[in-house]
Amino acid sequence: MIRMFGYLAWRSAYNRTARQARHLRSPRYVAALLLGLAYLWFVVLAQRPAPAADLADPRWLELVGALALLGAVAWGWIFGVERRVLAFSPAEVTFLFSGPVSRRGLIQFKLLRTQLLILFNALLWTLILSRERFGVSPWLRVISIWMLLTTLSFHRLGASFVRTSLAEHGRLGVRHRVVSLVVLGVVLVALTWSIGEALPRFAGADARTPIGFLSALGEAAAQPLPTALTYPFRVMIRPLTAHSVSDWLQALWPALILLVLHYIWVVRSDTAFEEAAAALSLQHAQALSERPAGRQVRWAGRRVSAPLIRLAPEGWPAGAILWKNLVAVTRTQRLRNVGLALAVGGVVVTALSFEPEGTLAEIAGWFAVTWAGAMTVIGPQWVRNDLRGDLLKLDMLRSYPLRGGSVVIAEVGASALVLTAIQLSLLVIGYLAFLGNQSMEPSLQDRTLLLVAAFAFLPGINLLGMIIQNGAALLYPAWVRLGSGRPAGVEALGQNMLMMLVFVALLGVTLLPPVAIGGGVFLLLHGIVSRWAAIPATTLVLGIMAFEAALLVNWLGGVFERTDPAAAGIG
Amino acid sequence: MPVIEVEGLQKLYGDFPAVQGLSFQVGPGEVLGLVGPNGAGKTTTIRSIAGIIIPSAGTIRIAGHDLARDPVRAKAALAFIPDEPHLFEYLTVEEHLRFVGRLYGVADVRQRIPGLLEEMDLTEKRASLPGELSRGMKQKLAIACGLLHEPQALLLDEPLTGLDPVGIRRMKATIMRRAAAGAAVMLSSHLLHLVEEICTRLLVLQRGRVVAFGTTAEIIARRPDLGSRSLEDVFLDLIGQDEGAEL
Repeated sequence: MIRMFGYLAWRSAYNRTARQARHLRSPRYVAALLLGLAYLWFVVLAQRPAPAADLADPRWLELVGALALLGAVAWGWIFGVERRVLAFSPAEVTFLFSGPVSRRGLIQFKLLRTQLLILFNALLWTLILSRERFGVSPWLRVISIWMLLTTLSFHRLGASFVRTSLAEHGRLGVRHRVVSLVVLGVVLVALTWSIGEALPRFAGADARTPIGFLSALGEAAAQPLPTALTYPFRVMIRPLTAHSVSDWLQALWPALILLVLHYIWVVRSDTAFEEAAAALSLQHAQALSERPAGRQVRWAGRRVSAPLIRLAPEGWPAGAILWKNLVAVTRTQRLRNVGLALAVGGVVVTALSFEPEGTLAEIAGWFAVTWAGAMTVIGPQWVRNDLRGDLLKLDMLRSYPLRGGSVVIAEVGASALVLTAIQLSLLVIGYLAFLGNQSMEPSLQDRTLLLVAAFAFLPGINLLGMIIQNGAALLYPAWVRLGSGRPAGVEALGQNMLMMLVFVALLGVTLLPPVAIGGGVFLLLHGIVSRWAAIPATTLVLGIMAFEAALLVNWLGGVFERTDPAAAGIG
Repeated sequence: MPVIEVEGLQKLYGDFPAVQGLSFQVGPGEVLGLVGPNGAGKTTTIRSIAGIIIPSAGTIRIAGHDLARDPVRAKAALAFIPDEPHLFEYLTVEEHLRFVGRLYGVADVRQRIPGLLEEMDLTEKRASLPGELSRGMKQKLAIACGLLHEPQALLLDEPLTGLDPVGIRRMKATIMRRAAAGAAVMLSSHLLHLVEEICTRLLVLQRGRVVAFGTTAEIIARRPDLGSRSLEDVFLDLIGQDEGAEL
């Protein structure tokens, strides 16, 4: 049976790659490949190893890594891991579920299929991290990363089984999953208690510097309960940070045992799997018949909310596409949750900011501001209610009486608007969090100016970011994942990271002219009109960004009009 | 004046000619049936006329507008309904119609929606999302979206796919009603009894070339050797699969 699964997984992956490679007959794809390889060479491989003095302390790496993993795993358990992790393709449902294959066999197939992606991403991570000098050798690092990603992937799958079993079967599901739930309950209580115990350590002034913060973190994590909580995650990280082969071998065994324990946990979950995966995969198959690479539709019996914005029958025709994409956002569970979290967070933070200590509000404030900044690079990959989702319906889009440029601007405008709204909400939360802090630098007046600047610049930056992302989908539809879903989870972390690095480089190139010219004008005029120089500089920056956006939209509109759905492999 | 004018249409994929040397016209009130075996070039032809595929050569005019030079006006006069309904996951049935109304600038979209929903038997599903609809209902919604702006040219690719017998009867009536109202209709189908029943003329394609064009009677009359055999027999003979008829 394993040989049959191996054949299916291997041949599917091989044929998919061969199909993508066939596009290299087009000069456009060849150029992209060469640019990508050159980028990898200059940015990753040709770099000298970081000097020894810059080496990060392995203890900090282990601690921060373990806490990050703990946070990610806890998040998955509390807020739900992606249910797609369980889903099979319609063909797999048809052939495997009705065939003489045991449920345990299906899980093994699922694990095997994920392995190809994990191996690819382990290699990518090894490349990305090749400049850093922690770890032993590239080959051992590949093995360490593979073990880490595989363990996390197994954990994600196991968590999916438990959560789905509970959601589908309520009390009966609780009885089936009692051991997992007891362990989870104990861990969550211990985690909450540990966070409560640790908070006072961060209240002191020392903890406001990065080094002080790390020291406080180290002290908090060294307590018995946090040590026990982070132990499995330290075990997963240790082979990565080992300095010698003997250290590595010593760290390998506990990590391997953890991996095997996860494997047993997942493979023994076949009852839960039977309950969960079959129904879910059939739902998925139904959703796929609706949209080839889309997310699941889980609306049966649920009342559909009225759209927030009314669509007038007349006006800019492409406005219909913008409206349609915004309506989709309000009806997507994940983004509705984000909206709810932002609203609640805003109210709580504002209330806490006027407390005498205000520490909690400030932690939340830093979190919000950091996330707002990170969203500039993560957001355009995450918010995808644009051409990346609609290109699968290219036939329909092309039959509409619209110019290509109108379609492109309406599509990218929707996702840029959503991303900007999320970022500005986070920044407002950050602003409110420090409202009660009179001694903080920058001053309240400067913070207000920074917030106003964010309102001015973020829409343009996000529009350019979305144009880059959509441009990639339009120019390379055979190589870019289409549909609202994207490769997610730890298995695909490496390729997402690489895509993000390429995106950041392109965004940087696009922002260089407006920033350089606007900055130059500001410096030139600052001596004459002081801070009022910001007004012409800002106007110039926005004008250049608008000009760049118009040029790119016009060009991509032409590409849209010339794209043959069949030749591009999406018709 | 013809609504659909195709002259010297050719579409190449690399060296492979999907369609070549295709010329025909469809006037108001006409229903042209596009028939042929799998891979004959029916879908390529319909999608080229809908402006989805860019032809390698030839000209296409819709309601007098050249599709290559003035694509927006040409597309505003047509509706394309694919064999697989492509619907938006998060728009309800009624919202799909409002969406299309805005795209085509239909000022009285509110007044038109109830009648269309009634005609397509979708009134009770007006607040449902596509995920809650059956395959046939999705197809009906796609058809309703195509009919909303009362196009002068109606292009349907396998329009009866997924419909139940009642749906098929309604669909045939809808097509004939639109043609009677002056629309030029062009449909592709494998169902020969359908094309025989509702099409005023047939265009038979084989490997991208026209092998017969005219009314059913004209096509049969051109082959006196086949005597009074059925359209199916004539079709199989035209595409060189006559032995199939003997089975």
